[in-house]
Amino acid sequence: MAGTTTDGEATRDTVPDSMLSNGAALAALLGAAIGAFALGLIVLLNEAGAFSVPAIYTPSGGVSGRTTLGVVIWLIAWLILHNRWKGREIQTGRVQRMSLALIVLGIVCTFPPVWGLL
Amino acid sequence: MDNLLFSDRSIWTMIHGIVLGGGALLGLAAALFSLGTIHVTDAADTADATAQNQARYLGWLLGFVAVALWLTVLMGTYVNFPAYRANPPAGLADLAHYPKALVQSSPRTMWLHSFAMETKEQMPWIAAILATGMAFVSTRHRSRLLHDASLRRFSMFLLATCFALVAVVSLLGIFINKVAPLE
Repeated sequence: MAGTTTDGEATRDTVPDSMLSNGAALAALLGAAIGAFALGLIVLLNEAGAFSVPAIYTPSGGVSGRTTLGVVIWLIAWLILHNRWKGREIQTGRVQRMSLALIVLGIVCTFPPVWGLL
Repeated sequence: MDNLLFSDRSIWTMIHGIVLGGGALLGLAAALFSLGTIHVTDAADTADATAQNQARYLGWLLGFVAVALWLTVLMGTYVNFPAYRANPPAGLADLAHYPKALVQSSPRTMWLHSFAMETKEQMPWIAAILATGMAFVSTRHRSRLLHDASLRRFSMFLLATCFALVAVVSLLGIFINKVAPLE
């Protein structure tokens, strides 16, 4: 396969038929994992008093700002990963392990009993 | 609307929890079953055509789940939550129309806000984000999902995570609504 490069993190082969490559699919899943982690981190930092996102809808309070920022980070991460990985074959193992870790951390950070440990 | 069986706020709560949240939960269960039972062959035969067909329906189903979850979290955050957290006038004895104040008024029910509602505020957004990623993969990369066992296994994990998150927050919502319904 001509033009194959390895960056140590993911093996990238240029695949002409984007339907055959897994890059865009993994970009969507890793992007979602980054979004989950970002939301969790924002919540945790808010609870720790280290970072506060202003409310974008006052009747809902701070949750409106925190979730909106999390969604924006998710969409940006997805867009960047999609543009970098679409049409490419990406090594799945490391991406999946990273996604798993980010999702678990994101969920743990939004779990109220964890805030009590801060 | 006072003379009707349900108030406006109660109807919005039912749309949020039963119609949208419940619909998403059912959709996630169906999607998990569908993805787990897809039988893929290497040959372009009838069995593969059947799997392709099943995968197409799975894509539509996950599209529905993602839309339902986004509507659930948006409605929960911007319609139901403001009514839940509204502050009662000073000195008001009957807190029935102020659910947050009502559950915080007793040590026995205080956890319904500090644990249940605090969990419900943000955790479901993670489910909506993950479901959207899965909906994208199952609609735009259906063939890859069918023939890549590793991607299929990871997708199963993501769907199971979504299902668990939605199930937990739904249960917490039922607890809150049982003690302090939006009426």
